[in-house]
Amino acid sequence: MSLRARTLGIAAMGTALALLAAACGTSSPSTTSTSTGVTSSTKPSSLSIGFILKPVSNPYFAAMNQGAQAEAAKLGVPLTVDAASNLADAAGQANALSALVAHGYSCYIANPVDSTNLVQPLLQARSQHKPIVNVDLPISTSAAQAAGLQLATYIGTDNVAAGKLMATQLASMLPSGSQVAIIGGLASDPTSQARIKGFNEGAAGRLDIVQTVAGNWDRATALADATSIMETHPNLKAFFVANGDMALGVQRAIGTVGKQGKVDTTAIIGDTAVLQEVKAGTMAAVVEQFPYTIGALGVEACTAAAQGKHLPASVATPAEVVTQSNASQALAAFPKPFQSFSDPFTSLLGH
Amino acid sequence: MLSNRLPTWQGARLLGSRPDFWSNWTALIALAVLCLVFGIGASHFLSAGNVEDVLTESAVLVILAVGQSFVILTAGIDLSEVAILTLGAVLLGEVVTHAGGLGIGFACLAAVAGGAAMGLLNGLTIAKVRITDFIVTLGALGVASGLALVLTSGTPTQITSNFLLRLSTGSVGPIGYPVLVAVAVVIAGHWTLFHTRFGAHVLATGGDREAARAMGVRIDRVRIAVYLISGILAGLTAVLYTARIGAAEPAPDTTLLLDAIAATVLGGVSLFGGRGTILGPAVGAVLLTALANGLTLMAVSQFYEPLVVGLVVVGAAGLMRYQRG
Repeated sequence: MSLRARTLGIAAMGTALALLAAACGTSSPSTTSTSTGVTSSTKPSSLSIGFILKPVSNPYFAAMNQGAQAEAAKLGVPLTVDAASNLADAAGQANALSALVAHGYSCYIANPVDSTNLVQPLLQARSQHKPIVNVDLPISTSAAQAAGLQLATYIGTDNVAAGKLMATQLASMLPSGSQVAIIGGLASDPTSQARIKGFNEGAAGRLDIVQTVAGNWDRATALADATSIMETHPNLKAFFVANGDMALGVQRAIGTVGKQGKVDTTAIIGDTAVLQEVKAGTMAAVVEQFPYTIGALGVEACTAAAQGKHLPASVATPAEVVTQSNASQALAAFPKPFQSFSDPFTSLLGH
Repeated sequence: MLSNRLPTWQGARLLGSRPDFWSNWTALIALAVLCLVFGIGASHFLSAGNVEDVLTESAVLVILAVGQSFVILTAGIDLSEVAILTLGAVLLGEVVTHAGGLGIGFACLAAVAGGAAMGLLNGLTIAKVRITDFIVTLGALGVASGLALVLTSGTPTQITSNFLLRLSTGSVGPIGYPVLVAVAVVIAGHWTLFHTRFGAHVLATGGDREAARAMGVRIDRVRIAVYLISGILAGLTAVLYTARIGAAEPAPDTTLLLDAIAATVLGGVSLFGGRGTILGPAVGAVLLTALANGLTLMAVSQFYEPLVVGLVVVGAAGLMRYQRG
């Protein structure tokens, strides 16, 4: 009856389930499969793809999902997507993938919440000789090697490079030594860490980073943080924000304290709302990555691999700087890249 | 005969004299200590501008804490509160996007009505179907956030509305509209709890359910009503939240839920029901907001911030225990 008793009960249930899941994971057969064989299906219609994704409540992964769905519809390949319930849902995501593998697909696309959580269930897939395409967050090479897990390819974007690109762009727009504050995602999130690391590297000696806070990928948190930071640092010239959604919250904060035109906002990744701000000149710049394209390429790669084609070891999707001068172009092409990008899988799929 | 005063069946749980008094003041004392520390550590913390910011930022949490307090006072819990906020925001966004002609007033009404419907559903399932509140509201958390995802396909909806912009940025003197809304909710909540028969029934239901039933309190109705209140207030916060960030976001901020529960308990509401106030949780909500604000002003590293927040929350709760003797 008491809350404590109920809470304990639920915690115990959760622990038991987690243990059960772990036990199932470790009992998976043939962990040292070295086979490179793939299923010999040749007709696309007999193919099916299982895609394990990060939470679709995040616009970045929602776009990835949309890209994958669109491409699968185009190729006529049935696609099943399951996702982690939040960005820290490592065990839940692994369980969801185990269920997909138990169902059985010709190929799997994996975007893990961390670099090791999907290794066990993916080994089950490899033991059935099914190819695996890793997208977005790279699976740890050492963990994969230790477990004997082979990946058909990796498709993704370099977040350190994207952060560095943004720093270079911002440094060219501001006087040397200008004060800049960083609003990251979750402090523990590898993507956020990589973007911040890149920005710090790019800004070294050119911009003065006065503060780094965690905005938790949440617009309201970023708004509150930005307000406080502008209070403490009246000479602040710009914000670097780890995603566009939070950047819109920061824009809101700048508007509320009446510092439009005095404090710039820059971000990695933005949807059309962010691009509109850049086009209007109210947001300084955004580095676009293309999750939609990552999703689409994942489906292409999976289809090609299931047909027995040999894939390139890794494919880097583009990161492009958008400022007011090319925002219209970016908006027109959204959610696809606006600069030329050659799709390495088109030729493999024979169209 | 039920009195409008604090009901006597509370007495069974009370040890020592007037612990309510001390637990009410705990959040306030903790807030005062915090203001002192941050006032010294961060020169801007007590500036008029920053105090206004903190109050405006805390408006949503204050209202959520009031809703949560009504539920917890009946010895229940509402885990779906913030997911209902999210659903309300998404409903608001959908009306603006697809039925803009109906006007922003109708969109706001949709948010509150959606919240009320979810709250009513929670209450009916708990009171009539007799499924435990923890499970029902956990399920509702999933249902509400799922509906929000289905309606939006996971992408946030930008909302440009002069009415919402004025709501979030306008003020009477130095006091912003969101703060005024929160103050009105707190006053109404306080009045309902301590000056109406319904309030006495809420405390009675949480204090000793069987005794209350024997006294003729219609327990089921009270329990349905508190979840309805929580749902309506979540719908109301959806409007404030949307106005503040200028968009309807499909992902619930689960830290907000934990903060609402923490504010309620820090504010002296017993998790076992039957004892507590409305003012206490409201001060608790301001305390948690001020804590996050002060840590950012003091430039505490993002890696240390959750650690400090955790220690301060437990410390404040410890203060409450110490004072109770």
